[in-house]
Amino acid sequence: MTGNYFKIGIRVLVRQKGYTLLNVAGLMLGIAVFIFIYLFIESEVRYDRFWSDNEKIYRITNEYSLEGNSEKIALTPFRLASDLRNEFHGVEEATNLFFTDPADENDVSTITWNGEVFEIPDISLADGSFFRIFDYHFLEGNRDSALLKPNSIVINSTTAKKIFGDKPAIGNKLRTNLREYLVTGVIDMRQKLSHLNFDAIVSVSSLNEKELKILEHDYFWMTCYTYVKLADTVNPDDFEYRFNEFERVGETAYIQEEKLNVVGSMQYFLESVSLVHFNSSLMYDSPTNVDVGNLYVFAVIALFILLTASINYINLTTARSLKRSREIGMRKVLGALPRQLAVQYIVESLIITLIAFVLALALVEWLMPQFNQLVDKNLSLLDSLVSRENFPFGIVLLALLSILSIIGGSFPAFVLNSFKPAHVLKGTSFSSGKFGKQQFTAGIMRHFLVIIQYIVSIGMIMATIIVYSQINFLKNHELGFDAENVYVINVPRDTNFRQQIKQTMDLLAKHGSILEVSSTQNVPGYTEGKMLFQVGDTNAIPVQTINYFEVGYGFFRLLNIPLISGRYFDDFPSDDTATGFIINEAAVDFLGLDTVVGVPFNYAGKKGGKIVGVVRNFNSSSLHQDVDPMVFLLTPHVSRYIMVKVVPGRHEEAELHISDTWKKVPSGGTLHMISLQSKIGSLYSGDKKMLNLFFYFSLFVVFISSLGLYGLSSFLIQQRTREIGIRRVLGGSEKQLITMLALGYLKLVFLSGLIATPIVFFLINKWLEGFAYHISIHIGYFIVSILLALLVALFTVLVRSVKVVNENPSVALKVQ
Amino acid sequence: MNIIETSGLEKIFQAESVETIALRNINFNVKEGDFVAVMGPSGCGKTTLLNILGMIDDWNTGSFFLLGHNVTKLKEKQRTILRKNHIGFVFQNFNLIEELTVYENVELPLQYLGWKKKARQERVTALLEKMQIAHRSNMFPLQLSGGQQQRVAVARAVVANPPLILADEPTGNLDSMHGEEVMNLLDALNKEGTTIIMVTHSQRDAAFSRRVVHLFDGQIINENLNKLD
Repeated sequence: MTGNYFKIGIRVLVRQKGYTLLNVAGLMLGIAVFIFIYLFIESEVRYDRFWSDNEKIYRITNEYSLEGNSEKIALTPFRLASDLRNEFHGVEEATNLFFTDPADENDVSTITWNGEVFEIPDISLADGSFFRIFDYHFLEGNRDSALLKPNSIVINSTTAKKIFGDKPAIGNKLRTNLREYLVTGVIDMRQKLSHLNFDAIVSVSSLNEKELKILEHDYFWMTCYTYVKLADTVNPDDFEYRFNEFERVGETAYIQEEKLNVVGSMQYFLESVSLVHFNSSLMYDSPTNVDVGNLYVFAVIALFILLTASINYINLTTARSLKRSREIGMRKVLGALPRQLAVQYIVESLIITLIAFVLALALVEWLMPQFNQLVDKNLSLLDSLVSRENFPFGIVLLALLSILSIIGGSFPAFVLNSFKPAHVLKGTSFSSGKFGKQQFTAGIMRHFLVIIQYIVSIGMIMATIIVYSQINFLKNHELGFDAENVYVINVPRDTNFRQQIKQTMDLLAKHGSILEVSSTQNVPGYTEGKMLFQVGDTNAIPVQTINYFEVGYGFFRLLNIPLISGRYFDDFPSDDTATGFIINEAAVDFLGLDTVVGVPFNYAGKKGGKIVGVVRNFNSSSLHQDVDPMVFLLTPHVSRYIMVKVVPGRHEEAELHISDTWKKVPSGGTLHMISLQSKIGSLYSGDKKMLNLFFYFSLFVVFISSLGLYGLSSFLIQQRTREIGIRRVLGGSEKQLITMLALGYLKLVFLSGLIATPIVFFLINKWLEGFAYHISIHIGYFIVSILLALLVALFTVLVRSVKVVNENPSVALKVQ
Repeated sequence: MNIIETSGLEKIFQAESVETIALRNINFNVKEGDFVAVMGPSGCGKTTLLNILGMIDDWNTGSFFLLGHNVTKLKEKQRTILRKNHIGFVFQNFNLIEELTVYENVELPLQYLGWKKKARQERVTALLEKMQIAHRSNMFPLQLSGGQQQRVAVARAVVANPPLILADEPTGNLDSMHGEEVMNLLDALNKEGTTIIMVTHSQRDAAFSRRVVHLFDGQIINENLNKLD
């Protein structure tokens, strides 16, 4: 019997080629998008799930509040790891990994081997416990001893390949600008998705004793990520409480010892290592971390796209049930039970879904490179199919296949099973009696499903337009400084180079195409951090935590940041490096000062400094955040970037000059240069990625819905061929008839738009709230989206209705 | 023994505010092995009566016994089982399934009855031979003439050897030659012991039956015996 179901199913589908094609195409696209989104989400969920005992590993995060000002950060003081190891029962291991500004893609270190210089982006520091918690696979060396001795370095396989090719790395000596390290291990990080991203780790014991002592002593210098592995018996909540109690005692003692006038507290939290990737709320955290809300949004979109494709199938099949009613009636007369008929429909649905699945998999494989580029990932369909790491993808696909087949088949089966054979076998009018009522109910159901499809489609169009407008708004937003014609050059992390930064800048300035040259520790748009400052020369006044920004000479002039009062930093030589501070308008308000310039102002616990100037507010961080109070410090010798402003229109000349000059600079390494506008633009790369995905997803949803509407309207309009013939004979014009046919569908689309509007308004408003600067939503976005959907729907319906309306009435009247 | 017994059977069609009485007070008995023709003008309720007898339509009041079963008390599933085991249908418009070949159309009732494949094959092949349509067994209905389609429909109706055949104007869509062929088939089946109830407009077809029942406005107005047993 089952074989028979398949045989009949295939015949039915072959006989109705156009209908089969529409169904397969819609489902194929729906399934393909679902697979893409699934693989994308699955790759995010895979982060940090592979460590042995990963349910016992926690990261310590930190929320400090000072003077009512609080901040959540991923960094902690260095000393926490030793406190954890030495003072608490139930701690199996604790370690720390030094912060190396993971957000800065252009920041690189150099390593020399055999006289050859290699650029290594991220070199971090950790102690010997690191590899006892994070059990990376060691290709060379021993995990237990790799980071024990001073001047040891463990590199990842990519770095090993880059430096040593296929030769063994262990035992070789690598030189950085600071010291020489012995390679004690090579680890394999490929295929392992983790928030921990480094190219090499050197042993903490390499630091000199003085540095280590300061680090061990300080309770407020946040330099490290701290991880702890707890024993099975430990309750993490209790542990967190005990740990905070212990640290608070230490902090109080430290404040007294250092005579700090600090009102505030530090609060530490245990965060399961497998959840780190989904925490995007902390400062100084891994740039690969994602907002879990976005993943939910994508999951919902994936389900909606599948729903849209399934609705197509259900609608087309129930609409065609008229055509198949006699067959079903006859089967009933011959003794088919409802269950047998349902199975037959589900088998037909299974065949269509199966074909759509195979084609969808092929489509996914074909478009994977483009999708990877779009989401900036390295996903592979084949790898996911054979992967045993997670929930098997094959099972997900099988489950999806079954669910779609059952949904697609059971709804039509339900409608068809309700036919009374006596009504359909003797040619009773399809529009009268009980059968007519059933058809009417099925028609209402179809309308309802079309409305759901268009709510999703129009919602996606609305979201895409609003997200696009917001990104555009950010692009054109007045930042308060002039980023045009400015290049940013990376300064190598090399003490020798930093000593010659002044000469390099002078060389760069000596060309007609260059207007200004300055240096900075950070680029506007990127947050640097907060420090404790105090107004006045004594500790009697409470200290405040304020954002700071370290700049070189000429920084404000180069970026055209106007001075409100006082002066800019003095030119070299200057005393401003230790004692002069410039603050922004927001800081003036924050500190509540009447007189500003000349007011004594210092780092916490220091004296002799003063405010020398006030500059206008500018957006020194992403537009997700408002302008914060900011203190500018003059630190020309520790700059990480040189900024060069070029004469408009002379970019090529300037670039050539910069590159020639760079070659002449000893230990300059490879020139890393990027325009300031691109660098600022990359602050919104996550938002742009979101926009791209929204754009493509809405394209898919609209296309799938249009396919469905085309199929449904074609069939139902064709059913009305005879009626249209009669109307034409009675004098109906083509225009009147087309309007009559199209209007029914357009009303549905319009209604969907009205329903989608408040839903989108609510959701998108939540997204916009994540930006300190955002567009205000106005009705135009919704009207344009609805009009766009109406236009697409009109075109879809017209294609078929024009053909039917233009049919010769004499032919049309013969159609039964 | 009566294969069918109805008493006071009534059927009302309800459409919005209009109520139409399709059948009223039908007391109708059919003996095993009988051949009954039901005649009457269009709209008199012939087909409605046949559909009720075949349990593919409901009635409003009255009792109906089929092969000793009180149909009123049977659930839909039990009616389906009773129908597929004991009744064969022949329709004016054949109602063959277009997606199935001649062979598969005839085989279908046996599949629903759960026959084994080999048994089905033997039975269908023999029947198609007997009906002289074996050479068309792999064709689809739309490739056949009307007469051939109705022969397939008759074959499908009798394939499971039902004791009762309900035929609704079986020659209505056929020319006289093909019509006579079909009537001869039904006559032969009746002679082999199958009970036949046939709705018809044709006096010629009715002449094949043993008893003619006349319906008018939903009521049996008279019955005549055609020929002696």
